[in-house]
Amino acid sequence: MRTRILSILAYTGAGLTLLVAVCVPFVLIQGFSNAVAHAGLHIDAVYSGGTVARTIERDGYRILVYQPVQPRLLERIEPFVQIVFEPADALPARVSDEIDLDGDGRPDVRVSFNLPADPNAPLRGDVTALNATYISLTNQGGESFSRMAVRTGNKIVVRVPLNRGPSRR
Amino acid sequence: MASRSSVLLRPPAFRGVGRSILLTLPIALWSLLMFMPSFQQAGRDRHISALLVILFMTTLFFLMMRTGETYRWRRIFFVALGFLFPFGFIAALVAERGTMSIPISRMVSGDTPFCFMVTPSIILPAAFARTIIFPGSILPTASNPHSIAVMIGVWFAMTLVLGKAWCSYACFFGGIEEGFAAFAKRRRLHRFVTKYGSILRLIPWAILVFVVLLSAAIFEPVYCMWLCPFKAVTEFPAVRNVETAIQMGIFVALFVGLVVVLPYLTKKRTQCGFFCPFGAFQSLFNKINLFEIRFNREKCVDCTLCQTSCPTVALSKESIRDGKTLLNCMKCGACVDVCKKDAAVWHLKGTAVAVKPERARLLFLYGAWALATMFGGSILAGSVATIVGFLPWK
Repeated sequence: MRTRILSILAYTGAGLTLLVAVCVPFVLIQGFSNAVAHAGLHIDAVYSGGTVARTIERDGYRILVYQPVQPRLLERIEPFVQIVFEPADALPARVSDEIDLDGDGRPDVRVSFNLPADPNAPLRGDVTALNATYISLTNQGGESFSRMAVRTGNKIVVRVPLNRGPSRR
Repeated sequence: MASRSSVLLRPPAFRGVGRSILLTLPIALWSLLMFMPSFQQAGRDRHISALLVILFMTTLFFLMMRTGETYRWRRIFFVALGFLFPFGFIAALVAERGTMSIPISRMVSGDTPFCFMVTPSIILPAAFARTIIFPGSILPTASNPHSIAVMIGVWFAMTLVLGKAWCSYACFFGGIEEGFAAFAKRRRLHRFVTKYGSILRLIPWAILVFVVLLSAAIFEPVYCMWLCPFKAVTEFPAVRNVETAIQMGIFVALFVGLVVVLPYLTKKRTQCGFFCPFGAFQSLFNKINLFEIRFNREKCVDCTLCQTSCPTVALSKESIRDGKTLLNCMKCGACVDVCKKDAAVWHLKGTAVAVKPERARLLFLYGAWALATMFGGSILAGSVATIVGFLPWK
């Protein structure tokens, strides 16, 4: 009797597995994708740059200043703050902006770069630190996650390293 | 080799043509359904490739039904997938950005397609810090349709059906080494693999634990950044300093060693069996999967042909004596096909062993082949379309 019940359960399970297989492309992939999408997850700040702290409007373009990203205990990155210039196609050929990163009303860094006419051409930029919290960069491209000046689509992403201080993440 | 010996022992036709066609009909209809969107899109390359893949997948399934063999025909699909996937992928990369390397700008813009191999590494940071340690995007975008949510959805839905059989019906990397293993005429290092098999098959578990814990500690996808052999034939971080140069060296060394040379020497899937942490992770899903391979002890003569033929060392003398495979069995069917006494059989958990093995095989194969057609088939179609696009008379 037990063998028979087990056998019936097994074939029912096998039938359900087949049903699941049929449902995979039509229902399940979308269902599981939605579950992941709504799980409240976010991409690590090392890649995404973190969250936007404030937006500075300029003539024809805007600058997004992100919150500083501090490494976790064993994370192998320097602390940095991300600045995004967008849209890139509205930027002048030469950009040189003094930017207030911490919101105290005084500029903290001067970011300068020449915008290549070809969007695929490598970009290089300079960052001059105007106080001791930040580290200056010269002729910076996309060499590291904490120090960069790169073009991604219609944005220019600049990451300025911070001198190590108390955690602000 | 396994299939050749079994062909000699089995009757040439396991089933009649008519019954084989009838049994193949659901897969033929499923293939048409899966590739219907390709025919609705413009482009002759797409139509040709979809048609070729439908014919390919349906013919292989028909041959499985007709001959009663699984491994031989599945391997043709799997090797085609393994060799054509990198071709299509690299062609797309070169067309789009002119190089296989990922510049840092693409990583920060979230344009890196998500690879299922990184799944175990992201679990702990996602669970405890709600953070995905991968430079992709969670939702699909115009520039990155293979987002994290989509790819995890695909992987999890398919894993519910396949369990560890993912590694022999869905993984687009395993076919490369299976191909190199198939090229070899004879099996070398057999004594070494048999003698140290019990240790070798523990290595993926050790790497899994190491990768999962280290990834959670340093918040980096350690396997992707340092250990994935398949970076050598897909995309890799652009070499921009000593560290990335070392990473590239490791990728190439592991690919040549584990995916080309050792499979050729041993006729085993050495990367899958002795290295891949994702494969070890996937083994856990064998526990909840209903299909397995069992051994009928009344028929078994302990010839160990099955053990020799197993591509991932998922059989030991002890496990065969117990009538079971080990946890890392990926249900490729090599042992069943090679067994001269029909002692190795497909089995549905909960039923009596060796009572209706063909029924268990059919139930498993319908699900596995349907998903292989949906997932691997669409990859094959993409790569074939790329090849058709290169043809000189076009």
